[in-house]
Amino acid sequence: MLKSKGHESVLAPIWNWRITAFAAALLFFVGILAISFGPVSLGFDQIIKTLFGLPGGLVGQDRTLLIDLRLPRALLAALVGAALATSGAVYQTVFRNPLADPYLLGAAAGAGLGATVALTSAGADLYSLLPIFSFVGAILAVLVSFFISGKFFAEPNSLLLSGIAVGSFATAVQTYLQQRNSSSLRPVYSWILGELTVANWQIVTWSTIYILIALTILITVSKQLDGLMLTDEEAYSLGINPNKLRVIAVVAATLATATAVSASGLIGFVGIVVPHLVRGITHRVTNRGLLTIALVGASFLVLADLGARTLLSPAELPIGVITAFVGAPFFLVVLRKKRLVNQ
Amino acid sequence: MIKIEDLNVRIGQRNILTDINIEIEDGKWTCLVGPNGAGKTTLLKSLLGSQPYSGSITDSGVEVFRNHDRNVAFVPQHPQIPIGMSVSEYVMLGRSKRDGWGNESNKSRNLVADILKITGLFGMQGQFVSQLSGGEMQRALIARALVQEPTLILLDEPTSALDLHHQISVLNNIELLKDRGVTIISTMHDITLAAMYAEKIVVMQQGKVLLNGTSDFVIHSPELKTAFENRINVFTLDSGRPVIVAKKDLTN
Repeated sequence: MLKSKGHESVLAPIWNWRITAFAAALLFFVGILAISFGPVSLGFDQIIKTLFGLPGGLVGQDRTLLIDLRLPRALLAALVGAALATSGAVYQTVFRNPLADPYLLGAAAGAGLGATVALTSAGADLYSLLPIFSFVGAILAVLVSFFISGKFFAEPNSLLLSGIAVGSFATAVQTYLQQRNSSSLRPVYSWILGELTVANWQIVTWSTIYILIALTILITVSKQLDGLMLTDEEAYSLGINPNKLRVIAVVAATLATATAVSASGLIGFVGIVVPHLVRGITHRVTNRGLLTIALVGASFLVLADLGARTLLSPAELPIGVITAFVGAPFFLVVLRKKRLVNQ
Repeated sequence: MIKIEDLNVRIGQRNILTDINIEIEDGKWTCLVGPNGAGKTTLLKSLLGSQPYSGSITDSGVEVFRNHDRNVAFVPQHPQIPIGMSVSEYVMLGRSKRDGWGNESNKSRNLVADILKITGLFGMQGQFVSQLSGGEMQRALIARALVQEPTLILLDEPTSALDLHHQISVLNNIELLKDRGVTIISTMHDITLAAMYAEKIVVMQQGKVLLNGTSDFVIHSPELKTAFENRINVFTLDSGRPVIVAKKDLTN
């Protein structure tokens, strides 16, 4: 009879906390890198001193540049990246579909429509209200998807299909509004490609609140999400109410997505690439893998935003272009090397 | 004692189960047999408590869908294979209700290691469940049910995907549960195997219970042939064991 110590090695989980610790360290390193680089370079040691309030930190314009421009922007990038990557992983688990992305239930199209309404409304300058309009648009679109599908989660695919239909409808209305107001085409188009240029502490603050609430819920249920990889009867017999868990997970993931979309426009590919890349290392997107996905998603977007700011400096590239331009080929290489989906 | 009274299940416009009234004894192996579409799987789901029903199903006097502390293991006919989960993690899921999801007590670790040995999976614990063969997967499911230490186990066609040798090995593993005092309810296509292992057999047809009694009684009852529309023959071997086979000369 083996003692329990022997069994610990025998039953050692594939999971290893060092992966999460590494992801956290990566995020910190990438974050410092992002706020130091730009048209004006800031020293690492000065940044650290300024952030921790130590003597010898930055002063004057450099300090304003760091605190009021680069820091909120990097924080927003990290939040949006974590939100999109985590929501993507959760949607992929709930819908048992490796291609599910955070915009699946109409959140993206709804946000796009909301933004277009804000930008095309005659007379009033609603640009400052754009995040609120797109947030409301995203939430409304997902709610409509829920109600049209009727059965909620008894049939996950019907929710998926109604999300696609609602998304198409919202996109059609959005296109119609744009055609009627061609002057708004450019700002809408630029917003659709994703931008973090509007980042200020106000946007960062409310994004942080919503995204952190959503992420806390998702990380809390992340272990139980393992149960959604079984049949509903098995999950039920192991103490999970699968339908309730799906509602909690989708509502939280949608809140995170809607907040991310309204704060930064549509940033594609993060929700699919990051979960699949992390799965290549942790083998799983649920359970302890979810926290790692959030950290890697945050690093990925902070890095992408650094590229967007500096590659064509002083001009800026839309961050959505960077994520797709870098993410897609990188993803294809990994996909060819390793079967990520059915391991 | 599980008591089923006036059980009816409707899904959409269809009556899947109609006026079921049976009692199932604790610690015995009861087998549900019948042609496809007889409602066997729906009855299992109702017994689990996950399927809405009208009427009453009580386990030790408590209505099953209200009792969330009840420890029932469920082995589906077509399991979903989780991605990126090792065999030991998969079997450990059986402890989720006791330890909390994602937690592993030392007691659970020891138990899982022991059960992996009993079910012949020791040495494979580091593999992904997605890499298991059909027979190994079935044993992993039984292993998970064993570590769950349930009072009742529900098995949906536990042998349908297996060759003859593995059928017997899986059924022997299920018998281990009976030795531990667990009530077993399974559906099974193969009535010969059902008669070999189960003490009680319930014959179902079109959502109704046609026959209910000891294996011996049911196998030798003329109504068994009625349930299968006279398409089966019952032979008795010299050892006294019954063998049920489908008739060959039928034109549908």
